[in-house]
Amino acid sequence: MKKITPEKFPAFVSALLGKGPLWAPVADGETVNFTLISDPVQVTLDFYNTTLSPKGVFFPQSEEIIRYTLGKERIESEAVPTDVKPQVVLGVRPCDVRSFEVMDAIFESGGITDPYWKKRRENTAIIGFAFDTVDPADFYNAFGIHAADERGSDLFLVKQGPDFLIKAITKKGEELLSALGLDDASADDEKYYNEKIARGPELKTRTINLEGAPDKLTRAFDSPYWQKAAMACISCGTCTFVCPTCHCFDINDETLFRKGARRRLWDACMFTNFTLEASGHNPRTKVSQRLRQRVSHKFSYYVKNFEVTSCVGCGRCTRSCPVNIDILSVAEGAIKEGEKQ
Amino acid sequence: MGFEPKIQGIACNWCTYTGADLAGTTRLKYPQNLRLVRVMCSSRINPSFIFRAFQLGADGVMVGGCHPGDCHYGTGNMYARRRLAITKKILDFAGMEPERFRVEWISASEGKRFAEVVEELTNTIKELGPQTKFKIEK
Amino acid sequence: MTDAKTIETRLKEEAKKLLESGVVSVVLGYGPGYDEKHPMPFAASTPEEAENLVFNEFCTANMARYIGRYPAGTKLAVAVKGADSRAVIVLIQEGKVKREDLVMLGIPFKGLKDQATGREIDEKTTGATYNPVIYDVLLGDLIREAAPSPYTVLAELQSMGRDERWAFWEKELGKCIRCYACRKACPMCYCDPCFVDQTRPQWADKSPNIQGNLMYHLTRFYHLAGRCVDCGECSRACPVNIPLYLFHKEVARECEEMFKQKAGMDINDKPVMVDFKVEDSNDILE
Repeated sequence: MKKITPEKFPAFVSALLGKGPLWAPVADGETVNFTLISDPVQVTLDFYNTTLSPKGVFFPQSEEIIRYTLGKERIESEAVPTDVKPQVVLGVRPCDVRSFEVMDAIFESGGITDPYWKKRRENTAIIGFAFDTVDPADFYNAFGIHAADERGSDLFLVKQGPDFLIKAITKKGEELLSALGLDDASADDEKYYNEKIARGPELKTRTINLEGAPDKLTRAFDSPYWQKAAMACISCGTCTFVCPTCHCFDINDETLFRKGARRRLWDACMFTNFTLEASGHNPRTKVSQRLRQRVSHKFSYYVKNFEVTSCVGCGRCTRSCPVNIDILSVAEGAIKEGEKQ
Repeated sequence: MGFEPKIQGIACNWCTYTGADLAGTTRLKYPQNLRLVRVMCSSRINPSFIFRAFQLGADGVMVGGCHPGDCHYGTGNMYARRRLAITKKILDFAGMEPERFRVEWISASEGKRFAEVVEELTNTIKELGPQTKFKIEK
Repeated sequence: MTDAKTIETRLKEEAKKLLESGVVSVVLGYGPGYDEKHPMPFAASTPEEAENLVFNEFCTANMARYIGRYPAGTKLAVAVKGADSRAVIVLIQEGKVKREDLVMLGIPFKGLKDQATGREIDEKTTGATYNPVIYDVLLGDLIREAAPSPYTVLAELQSMGRDERWAFWEKELGKCIRCYACRKACPMCYCDPCFVDQTRPQWADKSPNIQGNLMYHLTRFYHLAGRCVDCGECSRACPVNIPLYLFHKEVARECEEMFKQKAGMDINDKPVMVDFKVEDSNDILE
C-alpha cells in the first residue's frame, strides 16, 4: 500500500502520464467529466461523481470504424485500426467500476465479441475511488455494491484526510503501482484503509428489492401505470447518455463531398425516432412506450439474457433529468403493478 | 501564392441573376471566385443554407435579391430581409466575421453594380483569408 | 408577493374546482419529485390527483411544452408563471392551441431557484416579467416591482472582441453531447420532423464535434428568433451546462431592436419572422 500527500499528488499524476494515456476527472465550472489529460493540474478528485459516466473510455460517443473515398467507379475504404496503447483511468467510483462488468456481458455475447470494446478493456488499468458520502439519488446498494467496493478495480484509492491511500488489487495493479515511485503507507494507514473497506456497506444508499423483478415487469407491460410515470418525460435522451450501462448505438456514414467515415455513435431508446423504420412505421411513438422499454430493458430483459441488471444505481439519470424522473421510483412502481397482476 | 477564396452566391432569378447575366453580356470583368446558384426568390433562401455553405468550406456568402418593393412575387424579399438580418446577427454574435456574409439588393438592370459588389466582396475576403471557424475538415 | 405555500393551496383549490365541474379534463402543474427541491411536471386528471399539486421556488419547468401532447380540442388548465404565459401566447399565435381550450392559472412569482445549485436564477428566467402576461385566474397578487432587464447579463459577451467571442462559443458549444435535451425542454420546439433528424438533406452530422454542434445550435437559435420567451429551460436541461440562454437572449434583443416586437406579449401579434413591415430598414442588413 502507498500513500500520496497533497504535495506529492502532481508527481503521482505525472508518473501515471509517463506510463501512457491517462483519463481523469476534470472540472469545467460545475461539471466534472473524465477527460484525457496532459497536465496534472487539470485533475480533480474533489467531486461526488462525474456528470457523464466513464463508459466513454471504452465506448466513445463517436468512433470511426471505416474511412472511405468515393471514386468515380469504386469506393476505396479501409477499416480504422483500433489503436489502443495501455492506458489508465483514474478516480472511478465503485458503482461505475461495476458498470464495466455489466457492459462486458453484452459486448461479448452470443459468440460475438465487440473488438473495439474488448481491446480497450484489455488495455486499461482502472483506479477505483471509494465514496465518502452518499447522494440521495444513488441506490447502488441494491446491486450488492458498497461505497468502498474494490471489486473490478486494478488499484483502489481511499481518502484519509487530505491524503490518499492506494492499494493494488490485481496483478496489473501491482505492476503499475510498483512503477510509480510512491511513498509506502504506514501500518496505521493500512489499518485505516482496511477499516474503510470493511465499513463501506455502512454508508447506505436507497435500495430496492429486485427479487422476481424481471417477471413482474413483464406482467406490468400493459398497465396504465406507464402513462402516469412518463407524464413529465420530454424524451430528451439525457438519461441514456449519462448512464454507465446504456449501450445502444447507431451506425452513420458521414460524408463530405467525396470523403467520409462510417461512425458508430451513441443512440438512445428514449429518442422519439429510435424505432422509426424505413417504412415510416414507428412502434414506439408514445413516450410511455419508450420509458417502459428503457426500464424493462434494464431491469427485466437484460437480466433474462445476461443474469445481471443493466443498472448500477449511480443516480446520474435522476440527477441529470431535466424533469427529475427518478428511475428507482419508476421501477418500484412498475414492480408493484406487476405484483398486482 | 495568392489565396483564391470560394464565394457562394445565391441570387434571385428575376433581379440579381438577370443582373449577373447583364454583367456578362456587357462583357464586364469581375473575379471568378463567385459560384452562383439561382433561386426563384430571395425568400426561398433558408438561413441554414448560409450556415451550411460555411460548413462546406465557403470563404464568403453573397445573397442577391430584388429591391424591397420590387419583388417579382410582391413581398418575398420583405420576409427575406428579416430572415437574412437575423442570420447576419447570429453569425456576428457567434464570432464569424460579418464581412464574409453580404446581402445586396441588385436589380436586373444593375449589371455594373453586380460586378462591383462581387469585386468588392472578393477583395475583402482575400484580405480576411480562408474561413476556418465553421469549415468541416474530413 | 404572495408566498409559494399560499399559491400552492390556491392552485389545488382551483384545479379541484375545474376538474370537478368538468370545465377542463387535465390540469398541468407541478407535483412532488424525489425530494422537495426537485418537483416534477405533473398532470392531474381527477380532483383526487389535484391534491398532489405543489408549488415552490424550484418549480422552474415551463408547462406550456406539454400542451401539444393532448389532442386538439382538449380542455386544459395550465399553471403559468411569467415566461410560461408568454410561451402559451406564442403557441396560440402559431395555431398550436386555441385560446378557448385553455384556462390559464397565472402565478406571479419572484425568486425562482435553480434545482441543481439552489441559487436564484432570475436572470435566466425572467422573461422580463414576474407576472403572467395572460391569465384567467390569478393565484397570487401581481408583483409591482419591475423585473430587471433580461439583457444586462449579455454585457460581458457584448464587450468581447470578435475572436474572444468565437473562442467562448467554440468552447461552450464544443461541450455539447447532442442529447437534444434543449430542444425537448423548449415549448416552441414542436416540429415533426425536426431539421436535425432529417436525412434528406442531412443538415448536420450526428457526431458531437464543434462543426456539427454549430450547425445544430445556430440553426436552432435562428428557428427560435422572435419565438423564444426567455424561460431558461433549455439551459437548465443541458447536462453539461452550456449557457444557451445567452445566445437566445441576444437574438431576442436583436429582434426587439430591429422589429420593435417582443415574443409572446400580445395574443394578436404576428410572430416577427412570419411578418414584415414595409418600413423595415435596409440598415438591418449591415
